[in-house]
Amino acid sequence: MSRIAITGMGVVSPIGTGREAFWSALTAGRSGIGPITLFDASAFPVRIGGEVDDFDSARVTARFPQVDGLRDRKVLLALAAAEEAIADAELSDAQLRDAVLCFGVGLEAFWLQDLTPYAGSDDVSRAIARHMVRDQRDRMLQTPLDHTGRVLGERYGLFGGRYTNCSACAAGAQAIGEAWQLLGEGEATVALAGAADSMLNPLGLGGFSLLRVLSDENDQPQRACRPFDVTRKGTVLGEGSAFVVLETFEGAAARGASVYAELLGYASSLDAYRVSDPDPGGRGAVRSMTGALQAASLEAADVDCVNAHGTGTPKNDVVETEAIKESLGGRASQIPVHAVKSMTGHMIAASGAAEAAAAVLTIARRTVPPTINLQKPDARCDLDYVAEGAREFDGRTVLSNSFGFGGQNATLIFGRCQS
Amino acid sequence: MATGVVITGIGLVTPLGRSAGEVLDRIGRGQSAASPPPFEAEAFDCPLCARVDDFDAQSYFPENKTLRLMNRDAQMAAVAARLAMQDAAITVDRTYPADSIALYGSTGLAGMPIDDLVRLIRYTAAPDGSMDLGRFGQVALKRVRPVLSFKILANMPICFVSIFENLRGPNAVYTPWEGQGAQAIAAGVRAVRRGDVPAAVVGGCDVRTRILSFVSMQQLGVFESWARHAKGLVPAEGAAFLVLEDRQRAVDRRARIYATIRGCRIRSANGNSTLSDTFSALITALELGPNPTVVAAGDQDVCISESERQAFSTAGLRPQTVLYPKAHLGNLFAASAAAQVGLAAALAARRETAQPVLADCFGFGTEQAAFVLEAV
Repeated sequence: MSRIAITGMGVVSPIGTGREAFWSALTAGRSGIGPITLFDASAFPVRIGGEVDDFDSARVTARFPQVDGLRDRKVLLALAAAEEAIADAELSDAQLRDAVLCFGVGLEAFWLQDLTPYAGSDDVSRAIARHMVRDQRDRMLQTPLDHTGRVLGERYGLFGGRYTNCSACAAGAQAIGEAWQLLGEGEATVALAGAADSMLNPLGLGGFSLLRVLSDENDQPQRACRPFDVTRKGTVLGEGSAFVVLETFEGAAARGASVYAELLGYASSLDAYRVSDPDPGGRGAVRSMTGALQAASLEAADVDCVNAHGTGTPKNDVVETEAIKESLGGRASQIPVHAVKSMTGHMIAASGAAEAAAAVLTIARRTVPPTINLQKPDARCDLDYVAEGAREFDGRTVLSNSFGFGGQNATLIFGRCQS
Repeated sequence: MATGVVITGIGLVTPLGRSAGEVLDRIGRGQSAASPPPFEAEAFDCPLCARVDDFDAQSYFPENKTLRLMNRDAQMAAVAARLAMQDAAITVDRTYPADSIALYGSTGLAGMPIDDLVRLIRYTAAPDGSMDLGRFGQVALKRVRPVLSFKILANMPICFVSIFENLRGPNAVYTPWEGQGAQAIAAGVRAVRRGDVPAAVVGGCDVRTRILSFVSMQQLGVFESWARHAKGLVPAEGAAFLVLEDRQRAVDRRARIYATIRGCRIRSANGNSTLSDTFSALITALELGPNPTVVAAGDQDVCISESERQAFSTAGLRPQTVLYPKAHLGNLFAASAAAQVGLAAALAARRETAQPVLADCFGFGTEQAAFVLEAV
């Protein structure tokens, strides 16, 4: 396997657009959660979320005219983050032409407002078919999840293969991990990998409300996501996108590229338990972490920081804490474990990519971001969650966890470059 | 490291049968599964679909209450994966540990069942037909089943397979076209080749026979060939899964081996102008002989078929036999690649044709893939 470097990064998140704004807010402990403004959520049981509120969609459509008028917000978020990552890496057109794209994404946006006019019809499906096809040709019922890849391909080529990963909350981490595998095996020398998601629409918010995983503390949005706190009531939906550029070290060195960090290892696993709950024994999470250590040829003692999945749901945080302890043994209590979602909310498919960006910056900027809102730790969550604020970090490795609905788990391990 | 990757199990749920032998025989007899869709299709350019008429997941999993959480595509995936595991004679935790069997799958644009959707919009619509977010939040959400989310998340069918078969190894789910189905197979091949796992279950599922799928496909231009040439692809439903194994491990346990996967390549294209160029480069890279047997990606879609013919010509191929499964089964989209590779493996195992067998996997999406199989 070739060694793989991270040479570019782009982030669009509820706490800032652009990697510098993201990192600044992350280390300052600023929450990006607030009342939902993208639609009228006043009748919903949950009315808060992590919106990207400084996003300039006109700038994206100016660069990608083919998405002008597209209602699927996650495509726009993705294009903005991908553009930033590509610019940051200073890749040439020739390098991008044969690059691999690994992209994580969640659920097709579905526009109920296009369908409600036919609700009173005797034959609703027939009425929908007639009118959507004949009268609303420009209003897509669904945007296929590979649409972002198509648009990026039209601009940059990316003929090395475009992988559209839909592994729920593990999709972003899996996309980056697969890019690492493909480059390591010589399938390509450059990869653009990341994810995007926005469930902040009526169907997305409604669907997650039905799952009863969201905090309904609408009166204190910035406090609502409290990973590892005994009073935590659930997670908060966020939206956003993050991309990284991966290159073989040989390729990066040959063109004199700046390297943020090295991706040392990746593994994935399945709980095979229930689609609705994590395995209470955390066995899938343990296999994901130990598998990544094995792939990176590292020991538990080599891990210096954990970027936790840390959703703030009652079930996840206890299971993850136990899994970290089982995977890392005594090392677990010696290192910082922090939760980005305490500030961004849960960006679903994009979360693993955004958290990978945070892990890379933790190494590059030598700072561990905090877990905010952790005031009364759950007795079962007894690790060092960096509750007091960001702290200096002189470690060499960060392990980043992503666990998805349905029981899909993924772990990435990033390391400081030796040279 | 692995000693080579072989196919030891094939599980199919298709409009023309549930075993590779049955499907090949019916294709050989020129049968087609195409029929008018079960809804008024006058709005669509495509007048046909291919359904699995007698599908009943309960008959495979009689005591399993989880089936009620599952969409039709997920149920088909569960059955096809079970058939593939049975075909390979793999018993989890006896043949291989659960965490050393990988699972890579692909899912399509199955979307929401129309019954659920109708319920949702009826309770959401204001008297003037506009969307009333108040009614949606306060009434509609209370009238739909909480399990709806599990039916529409794109990764769920593959997660259900993991639960039904107790598969706990490396994994990923791709979406939504034929090429992404090929990516799932290639991911399994790589995982076995790397030595990460001795076995991988790979495949996909899709249900494109619903009215909402037709709406999406019509809007996306999938039926363009019908509009222009009065013939084109026939949307189908089904699932296909394969069991891949390290060759030596399969030999050691005396498994029946359908074929060795000698090579696979995946590339992307932008539009039809680059499709044949990319595909000819792909198959040239696989170093085939001039007269392989081909299980072709093309069907009645004029553009795809023409691009495929051009690619063969550019690559110097004069296929001895060309099989067009989609012309008989319909297009299974996310499940199509696994079905094609499975049929190619069954053909290779029959040893009735010149070796190797090339399975092309591409279509409406931008991804193109080719697999070369050889009899063992």
